[in-house]
Amino acid sequence: MTILGLDLFMSSKNLERRVVPFFLCLLIGVSVSAAEVTWKPANEISQKALERADLKGPGPRDATGYLPEKKYPFTSPLNAEEIGYRLMNFNHVASWAHMLADCYGSVTKEGYLTEGITLGMIDNVGSEGGPEARIYGSPGDVFQRWNYYYTYPPKSEGEQQVWHLRRTGRDEPTKLDFFVYSPSLRRVRRQPPPRRDAQFPNSVQTFDDIVGLEAWEFEWTLIGSDILYSTVRFPSNRPMLTLARAGGRFYEQEASKIRMMGDDYPYYRKDNGIDTFVVTAVPRGDWLPKYRIGRVVYWVDQHYFFPLRIETYDREGELLAIQVRMGERQNPNLPDGHGYTNPHSAYWDVRLDLVTYSAHDSMALAEWTKEEKETLFNPDFMRRRWNRNNAKSQVLIRDPKRFHLRPEILEGRFPTYRSINLSPEVLARVKAQNAAGRLVFAGETLE
Amino acid sequence: MSMLFWQLIHEEAHLLGFGFFRQRLTGWHLSFILLLLFTFSGELANAAMRDRLAGLDRFLATFDPGGRFLTRPIERLVPGLTLNGTYTFASDALLSSHDNVGFRDRDYRWLQFQSLFELEANYQVNSNIQITGIFHALYDPVYSLQGSDGLYAPKENERLRGYEDSKDIVRELYVSLRTLKFDLVLGKQQIAWGKMDGRFIDAINPMDGRESVQLESTDYERRRIPLWMANLTYYVGSVSLNFLWIPGFEPDEHATYGSPWYSPLYSPADSVARHNPTLLQGNVTADGYTVDRRSKPNWNDFAEHQLAFRVDVPFGAWTAGLIYFYAWDKNPSDSITGRFTENGVNYLSLERRHRRLHHFGFTADYAGTLSSVPIVGTLPVVLRVEALLSKGVPFADLDEYAVALEGADVDGLRETDTIKGAFAFEFAFPHNTTFIFQPSLYYTKDWKSTLGSGFGGAVGDAWALAPVIFIKRPFRFTRDRLAIGLTLTPYLSQPTRNSQGMKTKVKVSYEFSQYLRGKIVYTNYSGGDGDDLFGGYRRYDNIGIGFIYEF
Repeated sequence: MTILGLDLFMSSKNLERRVVPFFLCLLIGVSVSAAEVTWKPANEISQKALERADLKGPGPRDATGYLPEKKYPFTSPLNAEEIGYRLMNFNHVASWAHMLADCYGSVTKEGYLTEGITLGMIDNVGSEGGPEARIYGSPGDVFQRWNYYYTYPPKSEGEQQVWHLRRTGRDEPTKLDFFVYSPSLRRVRRQPPPRRDAQFPNSVQTFDDIVGLEAWEFEWTLIGSDILYSTVRFPSNRPMLTLARAGGRFYEQEASKIRMMGDDYPYYRKDNGIDTFVVTAVPRGDWLPKYRIGRVVYWVDQHYFFPLRIETYDREGELLAIQVRMGERQNPNLPDGHGYTNPHSAYWDVRLDLVTYSAHDSMALAEWTKEEKETLFNPDFMRRRWNRNNAKSQVLIRDPKRFHLRPEILEGRFPTYRSINLSPEVLARVKAQNAAGRLVFAGETLE
Repeated sequence: MSMLFWQLIHEEAHLLGFGFFRQRLTGWHLSFILLLLFTFSGELANAAMRDRLAGLDRFLATFDPGGRFLTRPIERLVPGLTLNGTYTFASDALLSSHDNVGFRDRDYRWLQFQSLFELEANYQVNSNIQITGIFHALYDPVYSLQGSDGLYAPKENERLRGYEDSKDIVRELYVSLRTLKFDLVLGKQQIAWGKMDGRFIDAINPMDGRESVQLESTDYERRRIPLWMANLTYYVGSVSLNFLWIPGFEPDEHATYGSPWYSPLYSPADSVARHNPTLLQGNVTADGYTVDRRSKPNWNDFAEHQLAFRVDVPFGAWTAGLIYFYAWDKNPSDSITGRFTENGVNYLSLERRHRRLHHFGFTADYAGTLSSVPIVGTLPVVLRVEALLSKGVPFADLDEYAVALEGADVDGLRETDTIKGAFAFEFAFPHNTTFIFQPSLYYTKDWKSTLGSGFGGAVGDAWALAPVIFIKRPFRFTRDRLAIGLTLTPYLSQPTRNSQGMKTKVKVSYEFSQYLRGKIVYTNYSGGDGDDLFGGYRRYDNIGIGFIYEF
């Protein structure tokens, strides 16, 4: 790894191309060397950290029989289940009214790249922001509504979707009312919602990755603490990103300077790491009897409980996928870190060796008028083929060699809960990636 | 049943015993299939082969010359303008030999070899006003390539071979004015009402049905014939009210004499028909009756315009809509206006004109999730319902034609009501597998065996049931680029015909990139008698290939 990195360094002709691989190698080196000492099992979590987290729990139930008696957002120290409820605030899509350009893409191990842009309008129902309506609403109630208008690729241009997210219950398993407008059919049709644990076509993301989990459907355990030094990793050949602020104004951002929780996160360690708790969620058989996923492992920051890394395991306990995220405070009106969301995330299906990214660009808070609420999130609105969101984005990658790196494996940490058996071919590609500072595809020969 | 059709059935039974692979595929199709299999063989190929193909894969993934050199540069030059181009190639080849079928001189194998280029331009004048134009260029050399005597339709209808008329080239052109409360769309456009696969309340625009029974719902977008109209939608809360004022009128288009899909049941034989211009122009029927075709709905007369209204209401997990359409029958009917005698034989004089219809429709859908389903656990499901009642539909009555030939004063038409409707149950199974079961019902009130065909009714019977089954599954090992779909369309009718045969379609599609897709489609017609809906096409099994490039 080091030799290849050095080769890149020595052969690069401009300063930027020399510096980035150097720091990348340094960062990886630091991560690798630190990996052995960063994680601690639950019984070794520091007393200072235990001021924020409680190893006991879950506590007593409320009248529903399954929700905790204590009320969201809970007070420190939080037990594992309460952390699970806090995670419901940090879904893939932020939990407040806003607009965004949602860019996404996947690349296969052969380098087959697909990307898309969809312009989203989000409406929170029943609360200003946060998961309260989702937690305390009646089963069947709509708690969030999304309207998406696809603008790329050309085959998807003009496609629209309206999502009405519903609070589930034992007798109300429907999590989504899903409406689609297809330009080729010129019709608005109600579609069956995607299966919760199934990946979207040619993507690592599942439906539950997008909308998040219902905490009461899982058993939560705090398994330890850890320090993360990187989450989403940009390749060495993509040193700059063109991002857009609210309103569509573009700016250049050095990829290496995007920090895991944004610039204003006050709790970075001196070595730029982030202290995390590691919790697991195991589906309850009475709520999710046939759920394909057997365990979810979260790394959440110790102060806001923002998930920076999420791993899913199958029912036999083998690793399925890794999701890593970068956080950023996008809603300053919400206190105590509740205004964080994830502008950048990457997903890796370790079996297919498929990598997916998502970038939420041009995010803008929205205050929908009564008329807009009635109109924009009504499925029939899609028949009008009216794109009301003028968000812009230039964050598409367009070149498979400039795709996000696969997330770090963090091998050896929490071995009781993390069984990772990658195929030799995948491991070889990971090794080649780490050496080259970019994805290396099947059949590709590095110069 | 004629000897001819008994002979057809005998030959078909012989062929069915061996399956279509025994048929001789055209070399071109075979080469393509082999290339496709070679390309997407994925797990089938060994690792080294996959590695070698990976470079091609990476190249194709970003290969978009139309976007790179045409649409994106123009969009950069003209802010507010968005362009989309689509090139579609579709070809179908018959799997059976060159034998004649029924009255058709079927000395050809290719059913289509069609290239269609579409350019869609949208110009955003301001946040509320947008101008849209959709332009088509079509060319189908199937009439020229094969030196066929049986394909002579362009003699009277050149648009089957290629679009030359601005009516076809400027396909849609409209201005949209949008506010939160209402939409007004003025111009030439197409409207697709309804939620189902198939056409039930999707009755506003006529259809170019040149492919006859081969026409699929996926073709409707490019086969609907747009109309000039004003389209106003007003929103009251979550309720929408849609009103259409349609001064323009166009009839349905059908397969005609000398085109690949013209029914083998219709006389006279091609050897006679191709030399009879008055027949090809529709001025005389196959029976020798004269036809006056001068009557058409008048653009300049408001009383002859079409009007339509639709209201959509969501309530709970249901969304529902009601429609009313004061329409013209898109297919003209022939009324008897007189009788004449030539060489001692009596003939009729007919007037061919469109009649007024009243359509009343209903559509609704409901979504839910079944829990604790064996094997799959939860099972998302959608139910769709749609129906159309058409009042006063004209049917030709052969009894009246017979008495008219004897001198009785009758118009040869009988008006009655028809209903067509369907339920659809769509399930989302694991592995992104879609399963749809859609029983469709067609019914003609007061039907009798001497009635011809009419809008909305069953084919050749009082009622018909078509329980359509559709299954589609993408394959994860190809990263969902390879998908296989199966559609079964049996057609059962009563009280006279029972099974009218079944259409079976197998579609294998592959995504070469997000800009370029390919497909192979095998279509089989089986069962029924030779004069039945699908039974009449049992010698028309075919395999098709297609590409779509979107940029």
